[in-house]
Amino acid sequence: MTLNAADLAELRAMVGADNVIAGDAELLVYECDAYTLEKQLPHAVVLPRTTEEIGAVVKWCGRRGLPIIPRGAGTSLSGAVLAVTGGIMIAVTRMNRILEIDARNRRALVEAGCVNARVTQAVKSLGLLYAPDPSSQSACTIGGNVATNSGGPHTLKYGVTTNHVLGFEMVMPDGEIAWFGARPDGGEDVDGYDLRGAIIGSEGMFGIVTRVLLQLIRAPQAYRTMLGIFESVDAASQTVSDIIAAGIVPAAVEMMDQLITQAVEAAYHFGFPLDAAAVLIVELDGLAAGLDRQAENVIQICRRNGAREVRLAQTERERLDLWKCRKRAFGAIGRLSPNFLTQDGVVPRSKLPEIMRFIKAVSERQGLRIPNVFHAGDGNIHPLILYDERDPDQVRRALAAGHEILEKCVELGGSVSGEHGIGVEKIDFMAKQFAAADLAAMRTLRGVFDPEGRCNPHKMFPGSKRCADFAPKKQASA
Amino acid sequence: MIEHIPGDMTVTVTGDVTLAALQGELKRRGQWLPIDPPFGGQSPHPSPLPFRRGEGEESTIVTLTIADLINFNASGPRRFGYGTIRDYLIGIKVALADGTAIHSGGKVVKNVAGYDLLKLFIGSRGSLGTVREGTFKLRPLPEREQFVQARAESLETADRLIEAIMNSEVAPVVLDLHNLENHGMDVVAGFAGTREEVEWQMATVRELGFVEPASLDYEATFWNDPGTVSRLSVLPSRVFGAIHGLGGIPFVTRAGNGVIYYRGKPTTTEHPPRQLRREKTFDGSILAGAFASGYGVPALAGKATASPGELKVLPTAESSHAPPPEGGTPYPDARHCAGSGVQCASESSRTAALMRRLKDAFDPEQILPELPS
Repeated sequence: MTLNAADLAELRAMVGADNVIAGDAELLVYECDAYTLEKQLPHAVVLPRTTEEIGAVVKWCGRRGLPIIPRGAGTSLSGAVLAVTGGIMIAVTRMNRILEIDARNRRALVEAGCVNARVTQAVKSLGLLYAPDPSSQSACTIGGNVATNSGGPHTLKYGVTTNHVLGFEMVMPDGEIAWFGARPDGGEDVDGYDLRGAIIGSEGMFGIVTRVLLQLIRAPQAYRTMLGIFESVDAASQTVSDIIAAGIVPAAVEMMDQLITQAVEAAYHFGFPLDAAAVLIVELDGLAAGLDRQAENVIQICRRNGAREVRLAQTERERLDLWKCRKRAFGAIGRLSPNFLTQDGVVPRSKLPEIMRFIKAVSERQGLRIPNVFHAGDGNIHPLILYDERDPDQVRRALAAGHEILEKCVELGGSVSGEHGIGVEKIDFMAKQFAAADLAAMRTLRGVFDPEGRCNPHKMFPGSKRCADFAPKKQASA
Repeated sequence: MIEHIPGDMTVTVTGDVTLAALQGELKRRGQWLPIDPPFGGQSPHPSPLPFRRGEGEESTIVTLTIADLINFNASGPRRFGYGTIRDYLIGIKVALADGTAIHSGGKVVKNVAGYDLLKLFIGSRGSLGTVREGTFKLRPLPEREQFVQARAESLETADRLIEAIMNSEVAPVVLDLHNLENHGMDVVAGFAGTREEVEWQMATVRELGFVEPASLDYEATFWNDPGTVSRLSVLPSRVFGAIHGLGGIPFVTRAGNGVIYYRGKPTTTEHPPRQLRREKTFDGSILAGAFASGYGVPALAGKATASPGELKVLPTAESSHAPPPEGGTPYPDARHCAGSGVQCASESSRTAALMRRLKDAFDPEQILPELPS
């Protein structure tokens, strides 16, 4: 179906004329997220300002049988917010306020469209922070973080979104409003099933989260951030395992290989060596007491694994610059290639050397460059498969390389996604990682929240409709 | 135990393994699952906590199994520093009501493939399926762990001591308050980590009036008593108002988390002294909550009252704290819906309906036990 003028007038009446987008040119922004291999325009995008407005739009969609696509900032990397068969996209970006900060109880109540980094900025002066820090944190929203159970470099020590979200308000697929988990003025233990836990990471398929109660943590008293420079990826990988095995719990352990280090250096001029096979960023944090001894331990472990050099960030400026380079690494890829496909597999930490060798072999076999920048401490790889979308054969080889790498992750006892999610991109892998009964149980859970499958349809499950499966009426050219 | 790879800091165990046995094995490799429930849980510095199966029975040491740990979402004093089992369970194998085996999660510490189904089984008391296997993230054993305590003659003093800790730079793994000694109340704090970290924190809290020696022995005292235990969960800043409402019956409070375990019937219905009331941070009104009229009346248990200004924190009917093997109600619960009046009640019935639907979807024949409400 298409929307007619009367439909649009109804939508405008619900959320305000300025908050409905229906023109093709304007809709282009919403044709995909950061996974750009599949694109489709929604029928319209609404930008509500209140939970009640969302409830009204959802009910309206229900009456018309239109799919609902929840959207945050659209930084997801797996097509999680793709409007596969069109529908009404509900973007929460205008619901971006921090509603309350409760310093004593270390909590913050925010609207779903609040940008992740804003939370930590807002509570910094109170000596607090919000721990999950995805690399897109200066753009991605808390609502999107809840939908994808986002991680980030510091999840090694602090855990992911589900470990820091106490509760939230959600508009159900029938338009009703419910609160899950702890309430802003309530205790942290809540009776009954952990529906909050089941909703976090459900990729917007159970409803639209509108307000989120975050658990804040005390900001560390001190940091020791080190840059280890290695002659081989193997040596750097082994160092990661050895640090973990030594009983040290770093806040973060990130690896960048030579290709990505060169691109980052060309873009941001930090002073990375251009000839090193791999660099490790190891950050320790916590109380100042004893941190130097732990840092010395880390340096020794790096040296035992043949590190050419280990630099310790001398100032806060230097530390922040280092992190800026790491978090903007994806952005530097433009210097290497017109397009890239990133994968997000996870392996048990001890399998890191093996998966890195495998990626290298895939790169050679497929004739594509694959730089790596990733959360080594968690075993969460991010190979960036470089290709040119103008060359269909390169596109085919890039996809094949991605498949090979993810299959290897599953074979090594890992997972096809550590933080980016399944979306439309990795649907085909679900049946590889999960048995039919596992998938059936997930579908059962979906049915509990969304029996009619209205919310973010055609995602996650094998057999879902793909953009390529039907003739799109409004496919925008890339 | 099925698989422990120290370099991965993960372990996979079958549901019938006891937590104590698991911790014993992990300890030999310098690691532990950072959870210390009262029943048979062992800390890195072991103080086994036996408990009695029930009133009148011979003292029987029963240890918690991994399946119990998940089913009852058991935790202990160290939850302030380490969190609960929800923060460590990364994979699960469950037999559903029809006997189908499913798995959720996996062996890796970060995993967002598919829905996070495993969360549903935590605290579900076997009502959605039978836990066969769990995979957990682990932590290295801390180099050192030490405890301090401070005596408090009054709730106001206890409040001041706990606020002093919360406002200082220390990061305790335990922050408890109990009244199990004859002399009144004790605030107990525990610190874990490197030798330097612990020493620095111990020095800091000594200046706040905390002393050694101290231990977690009160845990055994509390949980070994055969009487029934109830639980309240409140905003951490409001524990003192809630404790005031108990009127002096035995309690252990995880002050950092706002969780209060108590034994017996609360006796006080009068409002706490002004200094124990805290302004609500979120909507500006004075806290309602645990000490309001009607507190602890069993007839009200399970019903969230809707009228604004009335009590909306209600403990459920008393229940035994001993985890019975089949379908009992081992862990006490607090039912609460503090906050925003009528809307809260309708939202609560919505989530209750969802939970019902979930149970019916996973157990259509109603073969498995009900989740006690």
